[in-house]
Amino acid sequence: MDTRTRVIGPRLFSRLGFWLLVLAVLAVVSFPLVWMAASSLKPSEELFKTPPSVLPNAPTLTWYVEAFRDSAALRYSLNSLVIATATTLICVVLGTLGAYGLARFEYRGRKPIIVGVLLAYCIPPIMLMTPLYRLISGAGLNSTYVGVIVGHFTITFPFCLWLLISFFEKIPKEIEESASVDGASIFTIFFRIDLPLCMPGILSAGIMVFILSWNEYLLASVLVSSDTMKTLTVGLANYISSTEINWGVVMAIGTATTIPIIVLFTAVQKYFVEGLTAGSVKG
Amino acid sequence: MRYPNPSATTRATLPATRDETDNRERRRRRELGLVLFVAPTVVFLVVFVLYPLLYNLWLSLTNARLLGTTPEFVGLENYLRLFTSSTFSRYLWNTVVWTVVSVALQMVVGLGLALLINRKNLAFGTALRTFLLIPYVVPAVALALVTKWVMNGDYGIVATGLQAMGLIDHRQSPLALPAYAMAVVILVNVWRSYPFPMLIYWAALKGIDAELYEAASVDGAGWWKSFWYITLPALKNTTIVLLVLRIVWTATYFDLIWMITGGGPAGSTTHLPIMIYQASFGTFQTGYAAAISVILGLILVAGVVFYVRQSLATNNTTR
Repeated sequence: MDTRTRVIGPRLFSRLGFWLLVLAVLAVVSFPLVWMAASSLKPSEELFKTPPSVLPNAPTLTWYVEAFRDSAALRYSLNSLVIATATTLICVVLGTLGAYGLARFEYRGRKPIIVGVLLAYCIPPIMLMTPLYRLISGAGLNSTYVGVIVGHFTITFPFCLWLLISFFEKIPKEIEESASVDGASIFTIFFRIDLPLCMPGILSAGIMVFILSWNEYLLASVLVSSDTMKTLTVGLANYISSTEINWGVVMAIGTATTIPIIVLFTAVQKYFVEGLTAGSVKG
Repeated sequence: MRYPNPSATTRATLPATRDETDNRERRRRRELGLVLFVAPTVVFLVVFVLYPLLYNLWLSLTNARLLGTTPEFVGLENYLRLFTSSTFSRYLWNTVVWTVVSVALQMVVGLGLALLINRKNLAFGTALRTFLLIPYVVPAVALALVTKWVMNGDYGIVATGLQAMGLIDHRQSPLALPAYAMAVVILVNVWRSYPFPMLIYWAALKGIDAELYEAASVDGAGWWKSFWYITLPALKNTTIVLLVLRIVWTATYFDLIWMITGGGPAGSTTHLPIMIYQASFGTFQTGYAAAISVILGLILVAGVVFYVRQSLATNNTTR
């Protein structure tokens, strides 16, 4: 018990104020998402009512049925799934190799490569858009999965490498050394020791790449001109740029696009937080 | 930094009993392995980063169009055209406003929330942190469509609210007003980009020695004094790195503004990335678009070089 009882009053007040602040923050952060999800469940007469109610009085799935009965939205979802999955696999395989080679060994040329990865991480998609468009379209890969996958690989690979390097660095090198003394080759060490130890990190890096690719808009929009090859984000962006927006349908597709991403992220955020806070900026 | 780096001593720790040829064979195999591990990354850097950037530089010196015709060298024509165009300075200014205000706000919000989730014995601390990170992964298109919906002049909750307060005309959308449009896209951008600074600041806060605060508290320093004399100085390096990184990413960020306003109304939210996009895919002047992106790049290169040097000085991966 605090002997200076006079501070209890202010402390209680500051606790209350603190939690009110937290509530306010939660409200602001959740508002866009809650509003989108709530709108997607409102029947037409509630959706276009002013002033609107926060939560739907008579929730309905009609917008979802309408959105995904139309084969275009399903096709976009499939395209996004294929592209994001392929990008993830390529990034994770090559990224794991690269990160291992950059994190675990000392040799000439290592530092310039790491600087190169850092620079690549800083190069934004808008700078790569024009040359990549010409190169990929010039190769006849416009409106193909391969074309978009190449584009997404370009912008996600440095991020993936960076995250993975931080995971590999966390494994104590003594483990490898004892294996090396026992005569194991670096391939054996990699596959038998580092890879299993890093699995959670590799998995979370993969999911982050999947999310980046799934959310990506700019490159996917310029690298695809045929409607059937559009990704979900590009298709949705087209819907909301038209003059007559079918609000219920776009809210339903938007919600369906976002929820899986939030679920995936929540599942791996622990490792992502560890990787990012250990690896990228330390000061 | 956390673990000693013994790789330099690895060879020395090999048992001395092994004979020379065996050692040489092992070294050769190790080098071969290294090449296999690192080669894809090097190929990536050359083919997907270095080459496109050089190609872009070359395009900026040509009259390349989006389709057809082989590009011809035209020297600095595209650059001259850019510097003499009436819109460049205006869009550059929009870029500055968008970048400076967005970055300043996201850093302040990020730091504030980092302090919040860093409180000791915070109930639901991990859940709160996870929740606050969610905007980081929300697709920009979802955010754009909600923004357009709440700003809808007829039914949007924010637009009708502003109308009821008499700030804008009946049935008007704030997105149709130059004075509001930039403010709206900046606020929405702050919503989606505060988690990164928050996370990095949070990690930095955890690294500050708790004894410093105890000592300050013993000396009678309150929260503000501790914050001003201990926390802020300790976050200086983090802040510099974050600032550069966020400025580069924000100044080149295209998706959100494009999907919410398309650069309008009347060019009031057009920044250089949208200018590049319109030159490339609106008027099909690839060479001109390339020149704008080179200029944007040059403006930011100073920042990136600075960021890399800072990272090399403070990052454990490079020692």
